[in-house]
Amino acid sequence: MRLYILSSLLLVVLFSAMLFPARGLPAQAQARSSTPASACANCHRAQTADQPMTPMGRALMLPGTNPLLKANPKLTVHKGDYTYNVETIGDKTTYSVTDGARTISFPVLWSFGTGGQTWMLERDGELYESLVSYYPTVGGLDTTIGDERITPHTLDEAMGRKLAQGETKACFGCHATNAVHDRKLTLESMEPGVTCEHCHVGTKIHLLDSLQGDFTSAPPKLGKLSSEDISNFCGQCHRTWESVVRGHFHGEINVRFQPYRLANSKCFDGTDPRISCLACHDPHHDVVREDSSYDSKCLACHGSSAHSSSAVQSASAIAPTEPKACPVAKANCVSCHMPKVSLPGGHMKFTDHEIRVVKPGDAYPN
Amino acid sequence: MAFLFMFGLAVLLSSPARAAQDNPTKFDDVVLRAAAARDQNDVPQAIELYRQAVELKPDWPDGWWFLGSLQYSIDAYAPARDALTHYLELTPDAGPAAALRGLCEFEIGEYSQSLKDVQRGLSLGAGNQSRNEKILRYHEALLLTRTGNFEGALQKYALFAQDKVPNPELLVAVGLAGLRTPLMPKELKADQQELYAAVGKAALRYLAGDRDGAQQEFQQLFQRYPAQANLHYLYGYLLFPTDPDQGTVEFKKELDVAPANAAAQMMVAWDALIRNAPAEALAYAQKAMAEEPTMPIAQLVLGRALLDTGDAKGGTELLEKELQHDPDNLETHIALAKAYSKTGRKEDARRERMRCLELEKNENAVVHP
Repeated sequence: MRLYILSSLLLVVLFSAMLFPARGLPAQAQARSSTPASACANCHRAQTADQPMTPMGRALMLPGTNPLLKANPKLTVHKGDYTYNVETIGDKTTYSVTDGARTISFPVLWSFGTGGQTWMLERDGELYESLVSYYPTVGGLDTTIGDERITPHTLDEAMGRKLAQGETKACFGCHATNAVHDRKLTLESMEPGVTCEHCHVGTKIHLLDSLQGDFTSAPPKLGKLSSEDISNFCGQCHRTWESVVRGHFHGEINVRFQPYRLANSKCFDGTDPRISCLACHDPHHDVVREDSSYDSKCLACHGSSAHSSSAVQSASAIAPTEPKACPVAKANCVSCHMPKVSLPGGHMKFTDHEIRVVKPGDAYPN
Repeated sequence: MAFLFMFGLAVLLSSPARAAQDNPTKFDDVVLRAAAARDQNDVPQAIELYRQAVELKPDWPDGWWFLGSLQYSIDAYAPARDALTHYLELTPDAGPAAALRGLCEFEIGEYSQSLKDVQRGLSLGAGNQSRNEKILRYHEALLLTRTGNFEGALQKYALFAQDKVPNPELLVAVGLAGLRTPLMPKELKADQQELYAAVGKAALRYLAGDRDGAQQEFQQLFQRYPAQANLHYLYGYLLFPTDPDQGTVEFKKELDVAPANAAAQMMVAWDALIRNAPAEALAYAQKAMAEEPTMPIAQLVLGRALLDTGDAKGGTELLEKELQHDPDNLETHIALAKAYSKTGRKEDARRERMRCLELEKNENAVVHP
């Protein structure tokens, strides 16, 4: 069995070497060329089976791999004096904007997001964020979130918002893997979406070592991080509590920064595993949408049997006061205590991770 | 004098001298004569009469105010400071008086106390008129520079960036803060004025939003003064809030010019912390602390680096010390929130987070730890 696994791994490595010929790359690029999920799947099947098709796995898509554009081959919207068209023929998508007299068009090179989707365009060596995006709730195009304040005065301005270098790195850094190295955007080594290597740094070395039977270089187990640390880890893309404070994001706009909202909850405890990101979410699978599926997570603290499991017992040694049980219900906790909040200008709702007793008429906290 | 006039008006309106007209006593008589002398611009006589009035009635606050402000107007700064001290003992929350006493202390070289008074005056509303605010902020920036808080001074000088024709002293003053030189403009040697004014001009240009123009000026300065300490640091500091990568490139260039520059080491460490590279941060923070242990924020950055590299106890100790030194530093509260959260001090962590949210609302931008 062991021989089978090792030979399978060897095949995958050989195959990936053909796909990603490291020999010809400079040393730095070799080090950062990523490991395909298929290589990891030999040992980590449960984690890799669904992950490539999750929203994180498809956080960035290349031309020809975008089901949303294939399903919506012609998207049009009029905004002010301009008309936008996003047209897909075969594997090619073209983003155009016209003022009626003149039209400019660019190929869509990178699609960001799977539900709502924004496109990144390249013009004269500079990268631009499309000024319109696709929103599933409207079934079409509207102004890209955050760009509502822009009133384009020319066709060129209407096309998109020029991205500063830091923004570009942030976009690709989170939506792709191996896209930023040594503070530079390295699109030549970029792999679309969040792959294994994105979170589990060092998978390539681990893969090569494991072929020799050496498993000591396995990346650290992220599941063992404390709630505080995992919040900061996930927050590298979903925004950490402190980065939101520094960024002065006030009001409903910060509802999409879940680590920030969670840490503002009264019940957040950086050492209690029952309140970590991973207590409720498995990033290797699609997010679970049924409210009731989270009840057990809430009741782990707020139920009469809250102190039954060993993990809970160790946590309760730190926080001996038993949290109150809900006097209203024992099911669908999140439907009341984690309400859905509309993102201003975003045509989407996010679950507010600031867990609290929500009273009718209460303002959105912070 | 405009500064004095605006502050004085509010006090005049409530002066008891008017009430005294109906029931003259010796005190009231002196007060009336003092007011008349002041109206006639006979400052020495007015000072003498107000001095007599407060001798007769030491708990008359307005007398101390007039005495102090008139003494300030004839450059008698030490007696003015003393008179205003009496006034503030009777009226502790008088922002204009605190600010004016700060300006007196500034003139007699009591810089540390002056800074406290100017800042207290500002916090109590002494800068609620644009002209007064500029006068006080300028002095505050000079004092911050003189007392070694150069980054704080540069933030204050941003208020002057849009001035059409900045005066030469302002350029030198900004240059002093930029090149981390704890002097007043008048204390700078004549042969250094040109360099500091040029640096101040480039920095103000950046602060005014003309980044391309500022870049050109800085490049010229780098060519002309390749060994000048703190020049790359200044440019890096200006760049850092919007382009931390390029800012850090400049900090590292600064370390090529001046390897022992603790401020540059600290900023490289800070950048590494923000990028979640705590081991790199720790190495730079330790070097900075060794070079300049009394530097503001040194404990914050080292404390945070220790915390992020796993030494929660050592990090928390340093951060708590730093908090005693600078209780309103947002970054220290952020770091402490993290420290307490990591060590299971849930309530303390929550308290620090809530404090951060209060502090953050009062800050426009966080540009420096």
